[in-house]
Amino acid sequence: MKAFVLPIVVFSIIALYDVVGQVRKPGVGLNDRVQQLSDLASKKVVLRFNNNKFRDFVKSAPRNYSVVVMFTALAPQRQCMVCRQASDEFAIVANSFRYTSTQQNRLFFAMVDFDEGSDVFQMMKLNTAPVFVHFPAKGKPKPADTMDIQRVGFAAEAIARWINERTDIQIRVLRPPNYSAALSIMLLVLFVGAFLYIRRNNLEFLYNKTMWGVWALLFCFAMTSGQMWNHIRGPPFMHRNQHGQTAYIHGSSQGQFVVETYIIMALNAAVVIGIIFMAEAAKGKGNETKGRKFLAIVGLGLISIFFLLLLSIFKTKTHGYPYSFLFK
Amino acid sequence: MSQAGTKKGAVSKLNRNAAINSLIICVVLLLAWVAGFASRLFAVIRFESIIHEFDPWFNYRATAYMVKHGFYNFLNWFDERAWYPLGRIVGGTVYPGLMITSGSIHYILHLLNINVHIRDICVFLAPIFSGLTAISTYLLTRELWSSGAGLFAACFIAIVPGYISRSVAGSYDNEGIAIFALQFTYFLWIKSVKTGSVFWAVAASLSYFYMVSAWGGYVFIINLIPLHVFVLLLMGRYSNRLFTSYTTFYILGLVMSMQIPFVGFQPIRTSEHMAAAGVFALLFAVAVLKYLQSMMSKSEFKFLVIWGGSLAAGLVFATVVALTYAGYIAPWSGRFYSLWDTGYAKIHIPIIASVSEHQPTTWFSFFFDLHVLIATFPAGLWYCIKHVNDERVFVILYALSAVYFAGVMVRLMLTLTPVVCMLSGIAFSILLELYLREEDSGPSEIEGDESTQGGKRLYDKAGKAPKIKHEQVKEQDPIGPNIRSIAAVVLVLLLMLFVVHCTWVTSNAYSSPSIVLASYGSDGTRQILDDFREAYFWLSQNTADDARVMSWWDYGYQIAGMANRTTLVDNNTWNNSHIALVGKAMSSNESAAYEIMTALDVDYVLVIFGGVIGYSGDDINKFLWMVRIAEGEHPKDIRESDYFTEQGEFRIDAEGSQILLNCLMYKLSYYKFGELRLDYRSPAGFDRTRNAVIGNKDINLTYLEEAYTSEHWLVRIYRVKKPDEFNRPRIPVANRVIKSSSFISKKNSKRKKGLIKNKPVVIKGKRSQ
Repeated sequence: MKAFVLPIVVFSIIALYDVVGQVRKPGVGLNDRVQQLSDLASKKVVLRFNNNKFRDFVKSAPRNYSVVVMFTALAPQRQCMVCRQASDEFAIVANSFRYTSTQQNRLFFAMVDFDEGSDVFQMMKLNTAPVFVHFPAKGKPKPADTMDIQRVGFAAEAIARWINERTDIQIRVLRPPNYSAALSIMLLVLFVGAFLYIRRNNLEFLYNKTMWGVWALLFCFAMTSGQMWNHIRGPPFMHRNQHGQTAYIHGSSQGQFVVETYIIMALNAAVVIGIIFMAEAAKGKGNETKGRKFLAIVGLGLISIFFLLLLSIFKTKTHGYPYSFLFK
Repeated sequence: MSQAGTKKGAVSKLNRNAAINSLIICVVLLLAWVAGFASRLFAVIRFESIIHEFDPWFNYRATAYMVKHGFYNFLNWFDERAWYPLGRIVGGTVYPGLMITSGSIHYILHLLNINVHIRDICVFLAPIFSGLTAISTYLLTRELWSSGAGLFAACFIAIVPGYISRSVAGSYDNEGIAIFALQFTYFLWIKSVKTGSVFWAVAASLSYFYMVSAWGGYVFIINLIPLHVFVLLLMGRYSNRLFTSYTTFYILGLVMSMQIPFVGFQPIRTSEHMAAAGVFALLFAVAVLKYLQSMMSKSEFKFLVIWGGSLAAGLVFATVVALTYAGYIAPWSGRFYSLWDTGYAKIHIPIIASVSEHQPTTWFSFFFDLHVLIATFPAGLWYCIKHVNDERVFVILYALSAVYFAGVMVRLMLTLTPVVCMLSGIAFSILLELYLREEDSGPSEIEGDESTQGGKRLYDKAGKAPKIKHEQVKEQDPIGPNIRSIAAVVLVLLLMLFVVHCTWVTSNAYSSPSIVLASYGSDGTRQILDDFREAYFWLSQNTADDARVMSWWDYGYQIAGMANRTTLVDNNTWNNSHIALVGKAMSSNESAAYEIMTALDVDYVLVIFGGVIGYSGDDINKFLWMVRIAEGEHPKDIRESDYFTEQGEFRIDAEGSQILLNCLMYKLSYYKFGELRLDYRSPAGFDRTRNAVIGNKDINLTYLEEAYTSEHWLVRIYRVKKPDEFNRPRIPVANRVIKSSSFISKKNSKRKKGLIKNKPVVIKGKRSQ
């Protein structure tokens, strides 16, 4: 994704230039409009429409081209993270279309930003962003011409499939190879290498088992508390119902909230710390009797209380589970 | 199993201790075996001794075939009853280890004149192997930590639900024996790394061979062991022992694994196996360098390492890349790739994403399957890292990789379970060893003894008080007897909670054969729903022997195994486009489906319908996957969005999309259901699974007719009509509007019949002139 930030900045600069520098003459014939559109599209793939342009190119009646419009709010003060990702994906589709398709004048990609075309948003009765709407060459958009991003998401492949459904134009998505992952790995390797090189005279910390142990344990806690599930499924942070109560624990055994996994991670960690405390208390050879006794008691408390808490959370999620202890 | 080797003290005492220790170890392992076996029998006791679920039916069918026709015929078996019209080469597409194992048990028992039916061997194979798994886990943990930890680990793995889920009686599947092979291979590997002897390395590769023959998960071994070697090299722990054991293991393992027909040349041609080869080369490079080091000056050596090393690495990398591009090395397979790029399967391979086992894992599943172990195993990991040595590096890597894979895929919880048991065993053993210590005797004696008691208590759940009487109070004991005893009680309590949890989970979640269902009334009476077998029996008795049955792929193995009829697709999902064709037939309207069905020679269609009894795993609930898979291959004809309402909901009632209400699957599931009234409160045609009244109550079938519906409507079978049955329906003479007798031809009598002028007269037995 990082790789796209720059092109988008460039696009927006060009777009600003266009908005300022070009004054549209109303009432131009179809051929002129197509010509103008393809001129614009040759400069940048995703056309940036304001109120006037939207009216001229999309709303005006005789058209022989389809327009796929993304309604979005990219201004930083709108704080729409999803819009930014959706915009990147949209740009991928538009570029793929540009480089692969032979029917350049049948389909155009455009976007309307809320801060530039709020009238269009009112006209379309939109109050969310991002929304993808396909304006067919003939007639008005039907309900199915609005892409259902709740269901299919807004990945470039999904957008391309949807466009194919609506317009019968096949777009082969060419994702520009994502160098950001390779780049970040390389940076990391470089960074680690440089770090090791700087500290080459003092590499003792590599033999520090405690450090390795802590990392390994953190990894285990992250995995066993279902962070991978969160990563793949993207659940909400927590749930707030109609009465304003917040639920931290998902009611069914099939799902979980993000905050729930953090709680579980903490409980698991507490149990492990308890075990380590207990073992260290009994193992050490010394005479600070008081401290070791205290450590053992704390460890025992940690194990029993936090494990039983874990068990009770488990019980609330399992239908008909009979066992619990101390905590309901 | 003698533990005497490390003992100090008087010889007589040592002998006595050794004897007691090995007795206790034997008894505990035996008890673990018995307990593990017993807790896997819920399904057999509640229902009967039958094969469960889906895949086991194929394994059973293949085993029965092997027992009947012999091993070589089995390897050459071409199964024309599956994947009609393609067929399936069974011998080359299965891991034969399971069939060979049960087949040879059957053979030996029959040599001894013990006449056991092969089905019973198949049913009880997995529980028996769970005992062997416990023993090999004990051996492995003993090598890693101590005998006491080993006993804990053995007891844990005997009853832990994460492993029971794949090894209950009747679940006759590869995993049941593969986990034993996995643990045993690891034990032999650790043993060979420790001793550096060729003997143990050869044993490890033999065990690896067995694992390869049993389960596709052998890839885990052939990546984990090289990883172990690699990390040992990084840590500067190279030794001649390591060199001997890895080179022996790798070469023998490679050659032997290629003897399995299904694996074939994969070990030298796919990316999954390349890591092992790379480490093999690296190990040689390191060995050569070590040798040269003894003969060179320091600066020369440094030069050689830097230049030679980078040159060699670059060369190897370039070769691998070039071979991959040239097509000699296959890139990662889809299933494997989805482990790394977690979003991959969702986008590219719906058939992988459609299997619920391939979903990521919630914390709930971890806790459900492992209970107290999941909270305690990191402590064992911690102490392994703190007291690291060659073999503990292995268990650390095992734990970290397994926990990652288990997080990505629920199914791989199975590979995590053994290592969690081992590490938890270590954690519990450390704690109990410290808190039940008898101050005046040597520590190693107590270790085996006391943790054994802890382990034994897993099975004495009658709440026996822990033995604390031999804890003498010492002045220098900082913890004090009270806390020691409380700690022991708490730990035993945790273990007891674990045991009851395991039993509950096994009994409630993992002991359903899923071909026989049970429902419980409000008064606790049990009703057995045997619809599946009823319908398959009907198929086997009432249809032609070569009848072809179309169903969704989930039921392919069962139809082949129980009804002995030809299927189009089955659970061996090797041909996506064939499955998509069936999915397309199911999701098209009747006439379009008929074209596909005639093209595929379908005689019967079988659907699973749960609306009458509220069974949620039926075909309508799976239907969207059929649509998705069909859409993947035929995007022009099938579109997922057509099956949703305008609001994007999947509804089967009157508001559902018309395409859904008229597709073949809907019609077959709900045919005549609109007339059925289940009880007085609900209207006719009320679907109990989806809690809705169906939208299309008036279903007429043109091209199919209902052939059979089981007692609770769970299985519905339809016969596909032949073209003459609907194309030109035969009308009885009495009902004909135009009576044939009153038909008067307008042709004159001469033209009435087609006459050939100058027809040659043919007389039988004579040549015509």
